[in-house]
Amino acid sequence: MRLLALALHRLAWFVPTLLGLLVLTFVISRVIPADPVALVAGETATPAQVEALRRQLGYDRPLPVQFVDYLARLARGDMGTSIFTRRPIVQDLAHRLPATIELTVVAMVVSVLAGVPLGVVSALWRNSPLDHAVRVVTVSGLAIASFWLGIMLQLLFAMRLGWTPLNGRLQGFPPEAITGFYLVDAALTGDGPAFGAALRHLALPAATLAFPALATLVRFTRAGVLDVMQSNFVLYERAMGLPRPVIVWKYTLRSALTSTVTQIGLLFGILLAGAVVTEAVFDWPGIGTYAVSSILQSDYNAVMGFTIWAGTIFIVVNLLVDVVQTLVDPRERAT
Amino acid sequence: MIDRRSWLVAVLALVLLAVLPSAAAAQTRFVFANESPYDTMDPHAAFDVGRVAVRLNLYDGLYRWLDNPPKLEPWLAESHTVSPDGLTYTFKLRRGVKFHDGAEMTAEDLRYSAERILAMKKGAAALLATMIAPGSTKAVDRHTVQFTLTKPAAIFLAVVPEVHVVNSALLKKHEKDGDWGAAWLTSNEAGSGSYQLSRYDPAVGFIAKRFAGHFMPWGQKWIDEIEFRTVKEDNTRVLGMIKGDYQGTGGYLPNDQVKRLREAANVKIVEQESMRIKMFQINNQRPPLNDVHVRRAISYAFDYDGFNKDILGGSVERNPVPIPNNMWGVPRDVKGYTYNLDKAKAELALAKAKVDRPITIGYLQGFSQTEQAATVMANGLRKLGLDTKLTSEVWPTMVERMKKPETSPDLVVYWISTYYADPNNWIGEMFHSGQWGTFKASSFYKNPKVDELLDVALKSTDRKVREKAYQDAARIVVDEAAGIWVYNTKYFGPWAKNLEGIRFSPIGNGQEIRWVYYAK
Amino acid sequence: MRPSKGTSTSAAWFVVRRLAHDRSALVGLILIGALLLAALLAPVLATHPDDVFELHPALRLQAPSGNHWLGTDRMGADVYSRLLFGARITILIGVIAVGASLLIGVPVGLVAGHFHGWFSDLLMRVSDIFLAVPQVVLAIAIAQTLGPSLPNVILALSATYWPWFARVVYAETRVLQKEIFVESTVALGASPWRLTALHVLPNIASPIIVRASIGMGFTILTAAALGFLGLGPPPPTPEWGRTIAESREFLPDAWWYATAPGLAIFLTVMGFNLLGDGLRDVLDPRLRRGRTARDD
Repeated sequence: MRLLALALHRLAWFVPTLLGLLVLTFVISRVIPADPVALVAGETATPAQVEALRRQLGYDRPLPVQFVDYLARLARGDMGTSIFTRRPIVQDLAHRLPATIELTVVAMVVSVLAGVPLGVVSALWRNSPLDHAVRVVTVSGLAIASFWLGIMLQLLFAMRLGWTPLNGRLQGFPPEAITGFYLVDAALTGDGPAFGAALRHLALPAATLAFPALATLVRFTRAGVLDVMQSNFVLYERAMGLPRPVIVWKYTLRSALTSTVTQIGLLFGILLAGAVVTEAVFDWPGIGTYAVSSILQSDYNAVMGFTIWAGTIFIVVNLLVDVVQTLVDPRERAT
Repeated sequence: MIDRRSWLVAVLALVLLAVLPSAAAAQTRFVFANESPYDTMDPHAAFDVGRVAVRLNLYDGLYRWLDNPPKLEPWLAESHTVSPDGLTYTFKLRRGVKFHDGAEMTAEDLRYSAERILAMKKGAAALLATMIAPGSTKAVDRHTVQFTLTKPAAIFLAVVPEVHVVNSALLKKHEKDGDWGAAWLTSNEAGSGSYQLSRYDPAVGFIAKRFAGHFMPWGQKWIDEIEFRTVKEDNTRVLGMIKGDYQGTGGYLPNDQVKRLREAANVKIVEQESMRIKMFQINNQRPPLNDVHVRRAISYAFDYDGFNKDILGGSVERNPVPIPNNMWGVPRDVKGYTYNLDKAKAELALAKAKVDRPITIGYLQGFSQTEQAATVMANGLRKLGLDTKLTSEVWPTMVERMKKPETSPDLVVYWISTYYADPNNWIGEMFHSGQWGTFKASSFYKNPKVDELLDVALKSTDRKVREKAYQDAARIVVDEAAGIWVYNTKYFGPWAKNLEGIRFSPIGNGQEIRWVYYAK
Repeated sequence: MRPSKGTSTSAAWFVVRRLAHDRSALVGLILIGALLLAALLAPVLATHPDDVFELHPALRLQAPSGNHWLGTDRMGADVYSRLLFGARITILIGVIAVGASLLIGVPVGLVAGHFHGWFSDLLMRVSDIFLAVPQVVLAIAIAQTLGPSLPNVILALSATYWPWFARVVYAETRVLQKEIFVESTVALGASPWRLTALHVLPNIASPIIVRASIGMGFTILTAAALGFLGLGPPPPTPEWGRTIAESREFLPDAWWYATAPGLAIFLTVMGFNLLGDGLRDVLDPRLRRGRTARDD
């Protein structure tokens, strides 16, 4: 079956692709000029002590040997230790992942809840003032620098109006960690004030992250609905005299939504990427800021850890989307 | 029949009864927004101002720097004696001091703590290691501890507050692979201080509760619970103070922010003379900066007034020598360099070395004031016809680069705060050739005459001798333009308006909360 | 079956005329024109051209006025003039980065599309590797490694954008291969290079042009993000992203400081996006339907 062949084919390439990614990141991270070994050794370490530590950590061996050793440890689930937090990277990532996921999911929800209806309405009432307004929004959505949008939102809502906090995920210590998602944890422990606070902190970053996603979703939903509306079988239905709402609901929306669903999967990956810059603006303690600060601080292992995580997610999402697309529309052959 | 008066009294009594218990039960809280993260709770792993709240509130030392001008007050020690040869310091300890877990503090804990600092080689170890050797500290008896110096050192007493006592029994229990309990102490505490750690998260900060059994008596009022939180952005801290989310934050904010805080109804600015110099280190070893005329030219090319008066709104004082103006040891007759492009060009003409490459100016990521200073410097150099290249690093990476003359930038701009109140904290550690490799000595300056003067100042305990030595050394260093010293800052501490009892010292920066209380 | 487009000049005119009827594409052209004008004539249009490197600390953070149309920044320099010179940097980065990505990505896509089997798979997997990590992160890593500067930003952006060209070209080449006219040309014995140059390239020109226009917008946004994070050209370069980062500590009072460069970025990117959309509508309406978010 074509689908199986595709899936197997992609899976066969999964490991080499990931490996290639690791090599690329490994090379980049080892080429960084600063010397993290000396940083670990501490401010008062003598050169002799630094060299001893370098030997102990294995950083004096040739690069390929280091790489193989890294892979071996990776197979055992050990990503190494972060130079700066001095904790295992796996722990660091696990600690910060919920923050990014919570942000991305909320942004996703917002963009879908707002975007899909807007796209449908915009298509159904094509070329109306509403349609034009929506199209302006979608074009701007992809032209605004998200870090600038975040800053402008901060300026208006946090600084001038004082409706939301300026940045951060929460003030002070978080609610009891059950899932790591503050909204969920606060709900589970019945902590109303914490829930409200978490929501207020999420408002601006989620809005910033959702805006380009919303723009894209509106576009695709609109295009999808338009396409179906103009297709032959809808024409037939209309010629047969079926009432418009029925056509819209039963046929158009369903077909259009199917293509939108596949876009959502991809959108998730894109949102995670956008999260990096948004997290930087709002000082969000997620994977994005972790990646950036690890790079800026020459924290080799942390950079590798992040790359593995991001790369795996991307490759998996890519594969899933290809599979779903093939399933849904055999005409749209994935290449 | 109950008359109206009795009714009123009864109601009042009931109301009071309802209110009073809750008033007594109400916990006073204090939240401080800190610029840097508390990445470790270990008092021996850090020495810097950014994390001083841990050491001041959770731990105690033999003596403590208090108030402004800073005075050394007996703390865990009641008194001390120095042997005539200046090598042996004997401290008499207080009795009945308890650690947070109830154990009694003895001289053995002090001995262990001193050895621990030296063994961990972090924080104040670099300084202490020049004065005491491992194994030389003795617990003479239960309440007497004795330090034997390798050579007489005038600053030993000034640095001794950094020997914070840790609960040796507790740490020995949590020791792993001979790490002196370091892995455990990073996220826990073993102290005796006025506050006891109750919650810690390196990404958030820490919370501590009042330790009623602290050896220093508490006043009438106090703060029950303190929280020190990491809030990286200036703007967030300022907004938070204005909204009342925080009751205190660091006092070295840019002038624009201080102005905003002055206008806030619930914030007061505590203004104090401090000792925190901002300067450009010049890499004296790297050509063409090894030519004194080039260095003087650069010194004449920085717009001091433009920076201090315009950009910083006059909130700082020009400080032309590498010792704070309000510290002893400053040669009062030295005027230093001014912004004078003609003089700069004249010096450049005298230089034997030609400046034919861009001069690298390093500044700190996340500290926009250093970026602005670097920009002003680059502009001045540009007017001299000299090219520049600006480069930024995060502080730990910059410290790394400054360890060797080959990797350190030509110019690096940052601050040196008060670690202990002595000129050696600045000029001594900056210009003694034995200090190369420390972040304060990235001038890589080497002058045997200056070394000699600084050594004399370190050895002697006679204030007059020391003062003259530092003044002479300062004169030479300024004449040689070994660095560019821009300003000494004041402390503009934002505090909640209804707080009293704040005791500021340039070393602690007012973050010792045991004196503070809500006046109301 | 899609025939070749005849002579290129008549095709070009055809495109231009169709484009002229599309209002939003025209707006895009105007915006891009304005950007080019600003960049080219910056020394003339600027009110304080020296403020690119000159400082006037006494004039810092002044609100927009007759003297300084968009106010002054933290060093007292004229925001408006620095904005104009920033346009130069923006165009430079955009054109060179997209150009380089094109020069790398198109050949890769062509080769991968032409051949079958493991080599072509390998090429596409390599491009997958570069796409696996968010472009911003990879660009940050490269820029940090090499050191923040203008050439390194361009390098980082080129290195991370070429896969998009490769993918589009690969997909189109594969589709074209199945077209009858290609098969017949091969059957007639034409060499692969002749085939590529005369038949394949002209047909994939449209998607490449569309991709390039959209890529400009995308690249400019990423370049601004790098500048914002401090990884772009160092101070006192008037790069737009860096200027926004500088302005943050002076908000909300100096609102002009953050608003102006952000609007500049917005109008620029919008211009390229509108033009790209217009080109896409004109050059190949069929492209519109099968569009996935991945191609954007």
